Order: sequence, then C-alpha cells, then structure tokens
Amino acid sequence: MGDVLKLILKRLGYGLLTLLVVSILIFFAVELLPGDTAQAILGQAATPETVAALRTQLGLDQPAPIRYLSWLSHAVVGDFGVSAVSGTPVVQVIGGRFINTLFLASYAAVIAVPLAIILGVIVALLRNSVFDRVANVLTLTSISSPEFFLGYILILFFAVNIPAFPAIASLSGSLSFPELLHRTFLPALTLVLVVTAHMMRMTRAAIINLLASPYIEMARLKGVPPWKVIVKHALPNAWAPIINVVALNLAYLITGVVLVEVVFVYPGIGQALVDAVSKRDFPVVQAASLIFAATFILLNLTADVGAILTNPRLRHPK
Amino acid sequence: MNEFVIAYFAALIIASCLAAYFKYTRAFMLVFSLTLVSIIVGIIGGTSALWTITIFAGLLALAAALSYAFREFLIQISRPGLAKELRTAPLTAAFGMFIIFTYAIAGVFAPWIAPHGQAEVIAGAFAPADANMLLGADQLGRDMFSRLIYGARNSVGLALVATIGAFALGAVSGLFAAVKGGWFDQAMGRSADIIMSVPSLIFALLMLSIFGTNLSIIVIVVAIIYSPRVFRLTRAVAGNIVVMDYIEAAKLRGEGDWYLIRKEILPNCTAPLIAEFGLEFCFVFLLIAGLSFLGLGIQPPTADWGSMVRENATLISFGDITPLIPAAAIALLTVAINFVVDWMLFRSSGLKEQ
Repeated sequence: MGDVLKLILKRLGYGLLTLLVVSILIFFAVELLPGDTAQAILGQAATPETVAALRTQLGLDQPAPIRYLSWLSHAVVGDFGVSAVSGTPVVQVIGGRFINTLFLASYAAVIAVPLAIILGVIVALLRNSVFDRVANVLTLTSISSPEFFLGYILILFFAVNIPAFPAIASLSGSLSFPELLHRTFLPALTLVLVVTAHMMRMTRAAIINLLASPYIEMARLKGVPPWKVIVKHALPNAWAPIINVVALNLAYLITGVVLVEVVFVYPGIGQALVDAVSKRDFPVVQAASLIFAATFILLNLTADVGAILTNPRLRHPK
Repeated sequence: MNEFVIAYFAALIIASCLAAYFKYTRAFMLVFSLTLVSIIVGIIGGTSALWTITIFAGLLALAAALSYAFREFLIQISRPGLAKELRTAPLTAAFGMFIIFTYAIAGVFAPWIAPHGQAEVIAGAFAPADANMLLGADQLGRDMFSRLIYGARNSVGLALVATIGAFALGAVSGLFAAVKGGWFDQAMGRSADIIMSVPSLIFALLMLSIFGTNLSIIVIVVAIIYSPRVFRLTRAVAGNIVVMDYIEAAKLRGEGDWYLIRKEILPNCTAPLIAEFGLEFCFVFLLIAGLSFLGLGIQPPTADWGSMVRENATLISFGDITPLIPAAAIALLTVAINFVVDWMLFRSSGLKEQ
C-alpha cells in the first residue's frame, strides 16, 4: 500500500503545483495590461488624487509579487475582490452562478456517464458490425459539431416545432425540483450529446484495447464462458481506463458549458465569464478563469488518482 | 395506408430479401433493421415521419454515389502508386475529400462565386429568400448565401493560419526538445503541461480579454493554446527516431541540430504529423467558431460562420433554419476532415482490427 500512497501524494503535489503556476499565469497576464484597475474603475474623468487614493485603498501601490500573494490568499478563501464594472464583490457576481453551472454539469453527467459507458461497452463487443459503424458515424458527427449547433437544433425541434421545453433556461423565481429539471433539460441534453459521444468512443477504444490483450485470449482459449471473460477478467482492468474516460470528459464539460450557457441564456458562471470578457471586467475574468482551471485540474487529478487506485497491479504488488 | 406507405415498405422488404439472397449480410442487417424501425416510427409519426426517413436515406444515397464518383475521379487523375492507395479508401474518406475540395474551391474563388459582396446591404433586415438571394437576407439585409461563401474564405482561412502557427511552434520545439534533450526538453515539457492544464476556451477568453480581439492576436493565442498537443506528439515520435543508429552516425559526422531535424528526423515522422494536422485543424476550427459565436472572433462586417449563427439566432424561434446553415457548414467540414484523418491513421498504423 505504501507505494500507492506515495504515488498518489506525488500526483496530488504535482496537481497543486500546476494550480499554483496557473494562478500565477492568470494573475500576471492581467498585469501586462497598460493602465491600471484604479483608472479603469474611476474612468478617464477622475483626478490623479482620487486615482492615487483608490490605488492605495486597493493596494495597487504595492509591488506585483506582494499583490499576487495577497490576491491568492484571499482567493483561497473565496474572496476575489470587487468587480471593476459594477463595484459589487466578485463572489456575489459569480457565487450563485457557479452553483447553477455545477447543477447543469452534474445534470448532464448523471445522464451521460451511465449511458456512454453502457453504449461504449456494447459497441466494443459488437465491433465492426453495422451497429458499430452507424454509432461511429453518429458520434463523430456529434463531436465535430460546435456545441451551439447542437443546442440550436434542439431548440428548433423541441422548443419551436414541438413546444415541449422552454428555449431559454431562466431560473428566476422559486422553482420546484421537477420544474427545474424541465427548464434546464435542453441545455443538459446538448451537453449530454457531446459528452456521451466523446465518452463512448473512448470507452470503446479502451475496451477493445483490453479485449485484444493476451490474457483475455488465454481465458477464451481455456474455455471460460464469454460473460465470465468480461466480468472476471476484463472488467477489473477496465475500471482504470473507464474512470479516466469519465473524469476527462467531465473536464471537457467545462469548456462545453460556456457555449451552452450562452445559447440557452442560462445564468451560469460561463456566461458571467463571457460577459466579463466583453466588458473587460478583470477581477471577474480572473476569478472565473481560476475556478474553471481549478475544476479542470481537479478532474484530471481525479482521473489519475482513480487510475492508480483501480490498477490491480499496483494494489497487489508482488 | 396510402400508396406511398405501401411502396415504402415494399421497397424496403424487397431490398432486404435481395440483400439476403445475394449474401450481403451487412446490407441486409441495415435494410431490415431500417424496416423494423420504420414500422415503429410510422405508427408514432405517421406518413410525414416516413417521408423524412425517405428524404434522409435519399440524401445519404446521393452522398454515397457522389463519394464513389469522386473517388473514381481521384483514382483516374493521380499517379499509379497513389491510385492504388485510393482504391482502398472507404466511401466516408472519399466523401470527406470531396467536402474539403468543395470548401477549398468556395474559399479560393469566393469573390467570383458569391453573387454579392460580404458587407453589401441589398435588402431589408431578414428579407425572405427570392431569385436574387438564395437564402434570404441577414439581420442587416446582407445576402446570407454570399456571406456563407465568404465565410468559407474567412473562417477556414483564419483556422488554417492558426493551425499552421500551432504546428510550426509545436513541431519545431518538439523536434528540438527531442534532439537537445536535457533542460530544454524538461522546460518545454513542463510548459506544455501548464498550457494543457487550462481549458482551451477559458485560456482563449482570458487572453482575448487582455489583448483585445484582433486577428493577429487570435492567431497567436490559438497557436499557443494548441501547440502543446503537437509538441507532445512530435516529441514522442522524434524521441523514438533520435535513438536510431543513423542519427548517431550523422552526429558523429559532425552534422548540426538543424540538419538532423530537417534531413534525418522530419522525413521519418511526416505520416503521424499529417494526420495530427487534420485533427488539430478541427480543434482550432471549433475553438475559433466558438469564440466567433461569443462575439470575440472575427469582427464584423467580415463574414464569419460563428458570428453569423449568433447574429441570426432570433430566426430560429420562428422555426427558420437559415441561421443553422453556417453552423452546419462548420460541422460538415469538421466531420469531413475526421473521416479523412480516420482513414489516414488506419492506413499508416497498419491496424486491420478484424
């Protein structure tokens, strides 16, 4: 067990280091800008004295590394400063939206993960059949389509032609849980389509790869029934690639969610990021980017740790 | 039950019987499962649903016939060695090549094909289609069809430039890392890890918010974001080549790094790199389309597929599919490239998974 623990700790440390470097990147990228935040908040008409006062108040007269440390130490506890456009704390701007995005992503994941794994295993077992070929073309098409294309097609079919679901996923007012699921169904379905296609292809590849390995052939040759080959021989080794596939695709959801939120006008953090980018509201951009990057790194980390934990060779060292 | 439904099922059943009789198992399975599905769809959706299936199957057959003809055309015009390879290409790959060819023609000859200029206002906002405007007008009264054609030039052109940038950056640094090794290799590898640990769209949004959205910034940012993929592939492929004896021999002859890369390593890793170029282009194309859709890509009045979707999206709520055409154009090109790349990878890996 000692080896596994060491491996995991090493991986965790590496993930933390990556996150630190990314936070440095996000902070200092904004530093490259001409002009400063105080000027941006007060506008062109501000007198030099008020700008200077605000600079001191915001701590902008400190050297950059010190400001980075204070930004980071506040960011760790969830305090991302004040929005440069509205003047409200960044937490208020994106806090609730982050929850909404997490809700949308988990809604999509709950549908997509079981669906994709089951379909992926079926396709792998039926490889080179007509069903496999059709699935290949369909998943390829789904992956190749921009998210907004899938989103608008769903709107066209299920909100305009057959008005079954709302085209705009607004969350205003108090909603019961079934109503919430109903309102956010189309954005979630868009994400499901993209992510399922990715996950199915990767699951298929992982399983086929596994079924081609010599020990599976050995099991078949000694007369083990097919279901037992899958359950007893293939599955224990398949967990690692499958967990990897799931985590990587959940990380993929993060990019997809931005476009989908904009298509469906869903009040999530992706849309907040896009708005902040067009308004050049840097504290919000920094905070949202950091949150997205941290989630992405965390999911990749989960993939690696999961792969380590489920690897029978590592769990039972010789 | 009307004549159409009877003819529909008769045709399907006769086709499946023929396929079974002539031992085309795959075709039989396909046609017969279509028959079974049609019964269910027919009961739920009625005649109109069956019409949809017929039209869809007709389009598919048309695409297949077109790909078949195009493959023959390519076989005829190419030299013997290549022609032999092309004969083994699946229809999907031929279809992909046909689509890429069409887009290239549309992009290169856009000003001659398009009936109107891309920024030319010729009608009222959202004017319907007529003899002059094949697809109607957009939100400012510009011809949708002409903008679609120009989009082939602008959107694909920009993505192509960015991909070439990513490739040049990634491949050159990958090759140098493989040849030099040591700290340079380590430093490049770790920087690639860092760039890949930020989601690409988020990275692009962050950079574009800081540097503004002009074309050269987009190209540079996208090239940097996607270069680590190329770097890793090149580094891995070249890493296997660098340890070969003939490289050792060349080093002993006193050849420089640049000579080694150009004359000894590069010729031996072109096949995976070309396939990677196709895939990379798809990623870049989708990212730039996404950015344009968010209003942060190519700026108006230049025609661009991503922003065309966004600008005309209101039409969708009236059941009009015109705004989806540019999005479909994006998807079609990406699918086409994937088909071709699939075939190339299959060919170069020698994988005959049977």
